[in-house]
This record gives sequence, C-alpha cells and structure tokens, in this order.
Amino acid sequence: MGRLLDSPHYGERWARHWLDVVRFGESHGFEYNQPRQNAWPYRNWVVDALNRDMPYDEFVRLQIAGDVIKKNAADGVIATGFLVAGPHNTTRPSSDPMRKTMLQDEVEGMIAAVGQTFLGLTVNCARCHDHKFDPVTQRDYYQMAAALAGVTPNEQKVTRAENVPFKEEADQLKLERRKLQNQERNILDPMRKAILAERVDHPEAQPEAPPATAAWDFTRGLEDEVGSLHIELKHGAKLDERGIRLDGKQAYAASRSIGIDLKEKTLEVWVQLDDINQRGGGAISVQTLNGNIFDAIVYGEREQKRWMAGSNGFARYSSFNGPEEKDAKGRPVHFAIVYRQDGTIIGYRDGQAYGRGYKSRGLQSYTAADAQVIFGLRHGTGPADGRMLKGSIVKARLYDRALDPAAIEASAGRSSTFVSATAILKRLGEEQRTRLAQLRTRRDVIEKRVTEIESSRTPMPVWAVRPGNPGRTHVLIRGSVRTPGEEVAAAGVTGLRTLSADFGLKFNASDADRRRKLAEWITHPDNPLFARVIVNRLWHHHFGSGIVRTPNDFGFSGGRPSHPGLLDWLAVEMREKRWSLKAMHRLIVQSATYRQSAAMNEQARKVDAGNRYLWHMAPRRLEAEALRDTMLMVSGKLVPDIGGKGYRDVREYKFKGSHFYDLIPQDKPEQFRRTLYRFSPRGAKRTMLDVFDCPDPSAITPNRAVTTTPLQSLALMNNPLVLFLADAFADRIRSEAGTELDAQLRRVHLLAYGRVPGQEEIDLTREFIASHNLEAYCRVVFNSNEFLYVR
Amino acid sequence: MSANPHHLSRRELLSFSAYGLTGAALTSLVGAEQAGFPTRPHFAPRARQVIHICLMGGLSHIDSFDYKPGLEAYHGKPLPSDEHPETFFNKIGLIRKNDFAFKQRGQSGLWVSDLFPHLAGVADELTVIRSMVAESANHTPATFQENTGFQLNGFPVMGSWVSYGLGSETDDLPAYVVLPDVRGYPAGGTINWSNGFLPSIHQGVAFESQGMPIPDLFPAREIPVATESASRNLLGRLNRRYQDQHGADDALAARMRSHELAARMQLTVPEVTDVAREPAAIRELYGMESKHTADFGRNCLLARRMLEKGVRFVQLISGGSFGSPRINWDGHEDMVKNHTREALRIDQPVAALIRDLKQRGMLDDTLILFTSEFGRTPFTQSAKDQVGKGRDHNMYGFTNWMAGAGLKGGMAYGTTDDIGWKAVENPVHWHDFHATVLDLLGLNHEELTFYHNGIKRRLTNVHGSVIQGITA
Repeated sequence: MGRLLDSPHYGERWARHWLDVVRFGESHGFEYNQPRQNAWPYRNWVVDALNRDMPYDEFVRLQIAGDVIKKNAADGVIATGFLVAGPHNTTRPSSDPMRKTMLQDEVEGMIAAVGQTFLGLTVNCARCHDHKFDPVTQRDYYQMAAALAGVTPNEQKVTRAENVPFKEEADQLKLERRKLQNQERNILDPMRKAILAERVDHPEAQPEAPPATAAWDFTRGLEDEVGSLHIELKHGAKLDERGIRLDGKQAYAASRSIGIDLKEKTLEVWVQLDDINQRGGGAISVQTLNGNIFDAIVYGEREQKRWMAGSNGFARYSSFNGPEEKDAKGRPVHFAIVYRQDGTIIGYRDGQAYGRGYKSRGLQSYTAADAQVIFGLRHGTGPADGRMLKGSIVKARLYDRALDPAAIEASAGRSSTFVSATAILKRLGEEQRTRLAQLRTRRDVIEKRVTEIESSRTPMPVWAVRPGNPGRTHVLIRGSVRTPGEEVAAAGVTGLRTLSADFGLKFNASDADRRRKLAEWITHPDNPLFARVIVNRLWHHHFGSGIVRTPNDFGFSGGRPSHPGLLDWLAVEMREKRWSLKAMHRLIVQSATYRQSAAMNEQARKVDAGNRYLWHMAPRRLEAEALRDTMLMVSGKLVPDIGGKGYRDVREYKFKGSHFYDLIPQDKPEQFRRTLYRFSPRGAKRTMLDVFDCPDPSAITPNRAVTTTPLQSLALMNNPLVLFLADAFADRIRSEAGTELDAQLRRVHLLAYGRVPGQEEIDLTREFIASHNLEAYCRVVFNSNEFLYVR
Repeated sequence: MSANPHHLSRRELLSFSAYGLTGAALTSLVGAEQAGFPTRPHFAPRARQVIHICLMGGLSHIDSFDYKPGLEAYHGKPLPSDEHPETFFNKIGLIRKNDFAFKQRGQSGLWVSDLFPHLAGVADELTVIRSMVAESANHTPATFQENTGFQLNGFPVMGSWVSYGLGSETDDLPAYVVLPDVRGYPAGGTINWSNGFLPSIHQGVAFESQGMPIPDLFPAREIPVATESASRNLLGRLNRRYQDQHGADDALAARMRSHELAARMQLTVPEVTDVAREPAAIRELYGMESKHTADFGRNCLLARRMLEKGVRFVQLISGGSFGSPRINWDGHEDMVKNHTREALRIDQPVAALIRDLKQRGMLDDTLILFTSEFGRTPFTQSAKDQVGKGRDHNMYGFTNWMAGAGLKGGMAYGTTDDIGWKAVENPVHWHDFHATVLDLLGLNHEELTFYHNGIKRRLTNVHGSVIQGITA
C-alpha cells in the first residue's frame, strides 16, 4: 500500500475524482465554446499537490486564494483555476440587464462549486430566496457572492519562480553562443561573398532552377511565364514595381482553374510583409473553387511570426517549429512548401529547411477543373477577416511534383542574395569544414540548454483568476438584477453554529482580503463541515458510496449518514492527522471493512441488497477513464508520463463563429497517455468515454452514474481504439510468451485478470484461437465482465 | 432517496424482464436498474412519442403564424411605447410590416402566412401558441432554456427528461435520437442534447446523415463473420463461467444482456436509416427528390421510421451555428432572404410528416413540437429613423406550435399586442410549455424529479403550469 500511495500515479487517480467535482472543462461552453488552451496547468497542479500530500486545508486555501496567499508564485495563481473551471459566456449582448444577469449566473456557478465542494452545502439554492431546507439565507448567498465578486476568469501569465537561479547560467551560455557564431561567420562570410561575386560576373555559374508548372514574376506583370495560368487582381489589389500589393483587408489575387490534376506539389513564393506581427494571411494557396479545401503557405496563424502549411480545418497542419521571422519586413523572403505522396510536408525558407518537416494525415489532391491558385487570401471566394495578407507578393511558382532540397535551393538561390550552406561548404577546405562542424556541435548543445532554461522562464499563460475590482454587492430581490436590495459585505454562511460568519470586512474591501478571508473561514478547524465532506469523499471512492450518499450535499435534502459516528470519528482523525489525505487513505484501506472480499452472502443480501452496511465488497465497473487506461496498459501501449500539456482526441475548428470538436483517430504514441491528460472541451462529439458515463464537464459530478447500455457494448466491441489495442495486446503476448498457446494464454490472463487460467478455460479458448486468432481473443477479453469489473 | 412507489428493486426489475413482460423495453431497464426511476407515466398519456422540430436562430412569428394586421398602420413608425426594449444588438429601428402575406387556412380559418404554404395546408392540425415568452434574447442561453428550462450549460434537455421519465419502447434503438442539420451542428455542439446530470443512457444520440449513422455501430475494421459470431459466443461463455464462479450479480447479468441488445441494434439501425426503401410516392411527398428539401425531407422521413420502431423522442434540428453567411433562422440582415431560404428547406417536409403520420393513424399518439428559442422584433435592427431589412431577437413574445397528441387542431392560444412585440394574453413561459409537454405524455412535471447536488431537479425548475383548453 505504501508503494501505491508513493506512486506518482496515485495523484493522477485521485485528481480525476477531484476534477469531476470541480467541473474542470477545457472550453468556455455556450455559443462560442472557445477552447481553453491553458487550463491544463491546474490539472497538473492537483496531481502534484496530491502526490506531495499537501495538507488538505492548504490545498483548499490555495484554490480559493492562492494568488493572494503565495504572492508572486506561479503555483498560487494556477491553483485558482478551480474558481474559473466552469463555463464562461463570452457572447456579450448590448443590453445592460442581460449582461448583468449573465454575470450573476456565473457567480452562481462559482458559489455552487465553492459551497458544494468544500462544505457540502448547496448555498447556490439561495440566490432568489432563503434556502428551502437548509439554514442558508439569501443574505448568506450574497455575502458569499461578495467574497467572490472580484474574480474574473482570464488568462494570466505566470513565471515559475524556481527557475530564476538559472538566469546566470543562461547569460553565460548566450555569451559563449555569440562568440561561436562569430567564429563561424569568420569562416563562412568570405566564401559567401566570393560566391555572390561570381554570380554577378558569371551568370552561367548560377545553379539551374527546376522547371515549374507555372511561374509568375509580379514585378513584371500578372502573366504566367510558363503556361497560361494568368493571375487576376481582386478587391483593390495593385501591381507595382514591388509585385502584387495587398492591403491586408480586402485585396487578393486569383487564377482561373489550374487545368491540371495536382497530387504531389510544391508551392513557392517570394513575399515581403508590411507588418511582421500580422496573423493568418495566406501568401499562396491552392484551393478548390468553392474555397473549402486548400493547402497554403500561411503566415502567423497558429504561431505568431512563424510560417506554416495551412489547410482546411488544420487537417494537414503541424507546426514546423521553425524560427521566428525577422527579415520579411525588410526584404522579400523566399518560402516554399513541398507536399509529398506519403503525406510528408516540408517547409523551406530562403532555400533551406524551415524547422522540421512532418508527416500529415495524407496528401490532398486537386482536380484540373476544380482548383485554382490564389495569393493574399488564405482560402475562400472573397475577402474574409483573419485570412488576408498585408504586404507584397514578388514572385511565385507552382510545381506539380515534390521538389527535392537541391532543387529548392537552386530555385531560391538563383534570384536571391542567399547562398546556401551546402554551396559554401562545398568550396571550403577540409580543415575549415572540420572546424566548422566542431563549432556547430558545441553551439547545438548550448542552444538546447538555453531553450530549456528560457522556456521555463518565459511567462506561461494559464487560465486562472484575474483579480478585479469587486465593486459593491447587493442582495438581489428574487435574484433579479433589476431589484437590488440592501448592500452586503463579504462573509460566510451564518448557520454554522461553531464558527462566526463575519469576516470583519467593510463593503469596499479588496478582492485579495475577501478571498483570503473566505479561504480561512472555509478551512477553519471549527468549521464542522469542512473535514466531514472530504473524508466522506474518500470513503465514497473507496467503497463506491459515501457514508453520506450525496457527497456534495450534507443538508436536509441529501442522504442521511449511514454511520454518523464513523463520519465524526473520521473527521476528527483527519484534523489530527494534520489534514494528510494519504494518512486517511491508509486508515481506511487498513480497516477490516475494506479488506472484506466480494463473496456473496445470501442472508446478508436478503437484508441489505444494496450493500449499504458494507457486508462485502460489491463488484465495481471500471470507470470510463480507468477502462481506457487499463486497455492501454495491458496492451503495452501506455505512455506513463506524468504532467505536461496532455493529449487530444479531438480536432478543434471554428465554423460560423462557434468552436467544434470532432473526434480524430487515436493512433499516435503521444495520445496513449492516461485519460486524465485528455483535452476535455464541453459539448464535444460523443466518445467512448461518454458512453461509459464520463460526464460532460459542464455538470458538477461528485458521484457518477454507472449505467449498462448496448451502446457500451458496441463501443467496446467495435471502437477503433479498442481494436487497435487488442491487436497490440496480441503482439505483446506473442513477443513475451512465444508461439506456444498455453504460454500465451497464461500471459493474457496474468496481464488482464491478474491470475493464471484454469485448465477448463484453456480448453474453452484453445479452439477459438486456433480457428481465429489471438487478436480476436484479446478483443473478447477486453469485453469480458472479469476485465470490466473489479472485485 | 427511493421514496418513489414505482421504484422496483434491481432484482424485481430483472425478473420482470426475464419473463418477457414488456411494460417498458429492456434498454431502459438496464439503465433504470442503477438509477432508480419510474419509466412509466404518472397518468394516462395522450401521446407516447415526440418529434421535436427545433428551429435555431429565432423564427419571426409576425411573418409566419402570428398575424398582426395592425403592423401595416405602424409601418415606418417608432415603437408606441417609452420602454426601451432589450434586444441583442440594441439597434432599435422603425417598425416594419410583415413581409409575407397572411391568409386564413383550412376549415378552422387559422392564420398562416405564405412563408409556409405547405404547412398552411395542414393548418387544421396545428395548435399554435402565440404568446410564448423567454428570459433571454441571447441565442445560446435562450436555446438552453428552450430545451432544458435553464439558461446554463449542464442541465438535461427535454428529450433526456422524457427518456428518463418514460424509458424506451424499443431495445434496438436509443430512446432519444437527434437528427442535426446537415449543414452543421448548432453552436455549443452536443451540449444541445446533453443528459446533464441524468445517467448517460438518456443522452441524445445524434444520427449522422453520412457514413455510419452512429459511432462504433460496426467494427472499425473488417472482421470475418465467423470470427465475429464465435467471439460473441466465447464472450457469453466466459461471462457465464465467471458468474457461476462468483455468484449472480445483477450488474453483471445486465451487462451480458446488453451484448445481445447491441447485436440487435446492429440490425435495426441500418434498416431504419435506409430511407431508400420507402416508396417513390412517399419520398416525393417529403420532398426528398428536390434540391432544397432533400436534406430535411430525409430527416423527417427518418423521424417517422424511428417512431415506428419505438424511439421515444426524435429531435430534428433546423439550423447550424450563428456566423455569416447564415445557415439558420437568424435574420438580422435580411428577413425576406433569410426566412425564404430556411422555410423552403423545411416547409414541405414538415407538412408531409404531419400528413403521413395522420394517414398511418400515428398522429394521435405522437406529439409534434415546432419551436424556436425566441421570435423577432416588429421593429427592424437599424438606425432609429430607418426601416431596415433585418429583425433582432424578441424574447417578449413569439410563437411555437404543437400538433397531434389529441390536441385541438386549427386553434391559436394566447395573443401578443397589436404589433406582435409582447405577449399580452395568456403568456406562456418555457416552463409552462415544458409542463404541458410532459402532461401530454402522462407525466406530472412536479413529480418527474432527479436528485442532484441538493436539489430534486425538474425540467420546469420550481415553476410551470400546464396550458389549459388546448386538448380536444
């Protein structure tokens, strides 16, 4: 047990339970449903805090007021992700009462989360009138609203303070890097100059440019200099000595249909930018005539100041991880993208590889009659916000094949002052080349370390509380923003007899004071609910049901405790164990109650079929996430990394102003992480996880329903991931147990069920595997009750 | 917790089904088992099944079902009131008369405009509620309220509540099916058919019009028939063996049964979605053979086929998300253009659905709902001294209609003021509308509850009263 609690996966397992309670979702919800790209640090913070066994009271205080309590510490800010984990409506109507009501709705969501999570009190029920059943008045509700009134959900930049000491090291390294660069230049520059001089003197020495399918020099005109794919200016695009001038608002240029089928291809452009910070404009694109399908050289769309291969819905996008653009404002730069048959996409800038190429999901082909070339517009049939380029297109070329690096270099070199490194290297002597290689090796090492240090020092955006001006809070009569009543100061719930609700704050107290006081009040040792609620949650997850069956509601409408004395005792233990959750786990798991078997007892079953009095350990179905994780693990595919940004099983795209999340295949190792690390937007397309009762993160879910449905059977039999993992499982078995059937079966059973198979089972299965295959058997195992249920 | 007299123990539920008594289908029993809920009506229902046609964006009631002769006189004048209306864009232009001519239709003489010529032909079947009111003039909160009673994310929608309340009548299909607009999902995505805090079995299952209708219906890669059937066989044997060793457990038994139901679903889903099987005359009736109506026509026909198979609640969505160019009813820019285009897509198919259900004798126990999250303003969205072309959101008064379910057809309930701005007589809030829907299905909206975090939640929150005088 010590091993389990010390394992870093303990934090992952229990973080999932916590994230259910705090409605942790990674998109805003409502109409726009924008993704929250930077909510994940909160998830990792929870994992880390649990692993370190942070005392529970501190764990809670930081989630309410971490930014106040741990001033200037990244973790303090990240922890407040709790308060803003819920939906957030960014559609702002122009009517003032409507906006105020929306704000109140959000406050209610926050009060619901705070009240239920830490106190098991549904304070949110008192927004319009005093609580119907529990001693929570409407005034209490607005006191708590006042305590949270300064909370604004937003992205915040934080810097991890622990990395500050490395600054000195980074400075040193940068100094050395500069020296190395100078030494390299001393070798390279003379040769570069020599080559350029030769070009002027001997045009014939220039490398031969590869033949293009179409080529335009817009400093001369709009005509295709190879064929007849001439270009037409649209919406005020102009032609002058710099090429096609694009205003970044309306202007673009387009060809008619290209007249040849395009599969493999190369796009090439010489482009100068008017604004280096612009976002999302296309330099050159090939697209279907309706503008829906496209491949394009795009500037700054996903990453500021970087070039990328744009495509419809980012279908073929990955970052090149190329360097920031620094020159394109001062001079035209050459950029080319090569699209190969196998889906590989490679970028080149000034004739040299730009970052790293990658393998996309597949090559997009275009037909002769339904494709065109456009400039200055990412894609589409008319000007559109966010897709327009501001600058000049000087020249461009289109190829109906994938150029190799040498051809690209030749094409770029011919017309620019750029001289490729290869060309220079060829002319250098042996000694110089060796020296250069040494310098480069050292510089690479430095580069890597500097990037490492800087990226951890660069302020990191996180979705968290942005402290704001709380303003004045009034009781709203019947909950309506149109009928404000008396003013209230931040305070707690008055009904708790052992603890005063008064924070001693004035009406105009600062946000920091309000939240700090709230955090102190909630975690106060005299708060009778605080400890009971958390020990009940632990009990709930260990036994499948809490001592109070409604973990978020200890009030009148909630369940009565089945063992009130036990609950009280555990609460006291919790305080005495100085709020150590791990100590409480140990206590519960070592109890005689927990160590019972799942064996049936017909007599007990007659009296208490629901096992309320815990006479045995009832079989429990694996939760959706645990099911996926277990399949990954037994098939040997699980990537057990801890922390980080996580993985995605959806493709995110924007359509008509709203964001949508469609499922993508799970077939890459980076996706084979624990399901905890899944990017979890609201309202995404149905996944196997939903089918197995994983809730949409819009709802606060302290206890998940456990259903049994035919859709679950369909998913578990047919889902591509399940089949993929069944195959992987079979591969693993063959490699670990060899070809002998009995050995294979023993290995399957050991991994999937944790036991060896009986002879009868071996007989039952032998024939099946012989006439079908091991893959099919592994699929059956994933579907079997013994795999799905824990006893 | 389980004070409900209808609550059966898990054991009872299973023996109930094992003997083949089909009070409700097993699909829901399997879910009911752990959720503990009624799956039967509280009193004799008027309808067993629901088709919900959900118009996204805001249908202009004054251009469709709410005839306001007075508008003509006010055309080009400001609002006859000092009150500043709450709209979305807050640009209050001058009043514009209706753009589509109204006529009295059918035996009943119900007013329907030329926007819906086909629906006008079945006017005698419609029970038009002209006094709807909503609490938000912002699309998504209003749509949430239309479907869940609340303006926030995370509450169960009507279809989920009905599935929860009545269970399913079929083992072979989900109880609650959604047919999204082929042009795209509505804003917010699947949250529009979310089960919220209800068990996941009540989530709407969206059927796609392309490819596999529902995810994971068949293996993601080809598996030989012999292997497939041998796999099922082996799975059954392993599970039975496991049960013999460890004693009977209800959850495990239900799981074994669910595999059989899954196999039946694999037969039924392709069959029910194969609308090509329908006779040519029917396909033509639904407009499947012409460009503008083919998409929605297919979905309407599909809805009928699903009802025949016992699906409890089919939701047809007309309209996608909100950006430009519009693909829904949100006529801010040009009402005539927008509504003409959208109505053309659905008018004939919806009318065909009503006729078809009627001729098959299915209309009586089917409730058809035709709703929009709010209406549109009688004044245009323009400068205050201009008559513009577009109308903004109107939450103060708008129109829904119902049909079937033993309702009085050809009638209108409630009225708005002279210009169709505000409901003035018998206003119907969404809570009342929902209470009425549940009532027609034999469910008392105050008793259909689900405990969640301190509250016995209802579709109608703590409000709602059943509309009186609209049933025959």
